[in-house]
Amino acid sequence: MLKKLFILVLLISSVGVFGQGKYIAKNAYISFYSSTPMEDILGESNEVVTILDAEKGEIIFQAIMTTFHFKRALMEEHFNENYMESSKFPKTKFKGTIEGFNKDMLKGPVANIKITGVLNVHGVDKTITVPGTLGLVDGKLVGTSKFKVTPEDFEIVIPSVVREKIGKEMEITVKADYLPFGQ
Amino acid sequence: MKKIFSLFLVLTLILISGNLFSQDLDALLNAQTKPTINYATATFKASRIINGHSIQQMKKKQLDFRISHRFGTLNEGGYGLWGLDHSNIHFSLEYGVTDWLMVGLGRGSNHKIYDSFAKFKLLRQSTGAKEMPVSLSFLTSVEAVSEHFPTTPIQLTPTTTTPRINYFSSRLTYVSQLLVARKFNDKFSLQLTPTYIHRNFVPTELDQNDIIAMGAGARYKLTKRLSINAEYYYTVNPNAKYLDTRYYNSASIGIDLETGGHVFQIMLTNSQGMREGTFIPQTTDNWLDGGIHLGFNISRVFAL
Repeated sequence: MLKKLFILVLLISSVGVFGQGKYIAKNAYISFYSSTPMEDILGESNEVVTILDAEKGEIIFQAIMTTFHFKRALMEEHFNENYMESSKFPKTKFKGTIEGFNKDMLKGPVANIKITGVLNVHGVDKTITVPGTLGLVDGKLVGTSKFKVTPEDFEIVIPSVVREKIGKEMEITVKADYLPFGQ
Repeated sequence: MKKIFSLFLVLTLILISGNLFSQDLDALLNAQTKPTINYATATFKASRIINGHSIQQMKKKQLDFRISHRFGTLNEGGYGLWGLDHSNIHFSLEYGVTDWLMVGLGRGSNHKIYDSFAKFKLLRQSTGAKEMPVSLSFLTSVEAVSEHFPTTPIQLTPTTTTPRINYFSSRLTYVSQLLVARKFNDKFSLQLTPTYIHRNFVPTELDQNDIIAMGAGARYKLTKRLSINAEYYYTVNPNAKYLDTRYYNSASIGIDLETGGHVFQIMLTNSQGMREGTFIPQTTDNWLDGGIHLGFNISRVFAL
């Protein structure tokens, strides 16, 4: 009796562990881009981890700063050393909720959504609302977003000598191909 | 008793599983993030600490164009504008073949020396999933003096001479260095550089063909874009004094100033040579009597 119960409870709990109703992407893409007449800056990471909670419509992203790569190695070095201070603030994170979420959003064609949440960059929290899309592409759940952020909002100091080369705003592009959790 | 126990067990398990159901997204995310290796980057700002190589090297497909100057000595006084009348120039192109191999070609005006080098990254300082306390690189270089050989015959005795026979190999100097560096924190880095130099041909019997030296260099960052650097090379077996020429250990102090794609290095040093084969065994000026050269290196990096 005890054994049976034990196994039953274990089974129930393991279903919970495997995140019923959760979706994950371990190789999501985030880029940031700024363009000025002097210089274009593009940093890209393909190692972003994101989880979507299909029960509550919550979504979370986490990127390790050193996974962002640039065409110019020096830009990458300055990005980590001078701007993001990656040894002090190794991660950037976003946690938010999809507005007006319902489960049909995960089963239908791609539709526009809005996400409100807290973006943590360089150790600074900022509440943002960003547009995005969510829906099935070839049977797979795909989420995307494109929005702009200002480095100054995150206490990232850009000195006057390079001010001309770095855009006032950074365009952030996000793309994630989700799989049901545990697969 | 048994029933109570089993009930208790079931309750506990339900509670645990309940917790798991509502497991925080943050915790779930952290469990899914791979442990990373954090490599120490930018141990120094440039590929030179001052005169000698630093552990830094160009990454793949990055080209560094470097121009260096060393003026005359401060003790020339006002007549020679404290050394500014004389200028030695060195320029080089240095390229990252891969992230672990960098090669370079250069030319210096002092003795018209051509030089080439290869720098290999062997170990990278890291924390996290892989722990490594220091970075280690190996540098090998060949320098070739292109100055004309002297045309005067060799004086054997006061009355007899013999004509010189010159070989190309007499122009060559070989340098091998191990670079061992550690970035202690965001501001402070230290490097030790055991060095072996072989010169095929030396001017007199008093000069050493093989020179062993130990270099030490450090940097301290004052701001994100400005650091103060110091470098010293101790020569274990220096050349003996010859006539009026005495040899000193190379000692330098300078700053690194970084502006986007450029690094400016401005220094005071008792060495006029800008390559290992000259500034380590052939530094003839002395800090203590004002034999100090003002100089600068400019590095401009291009992504090819």
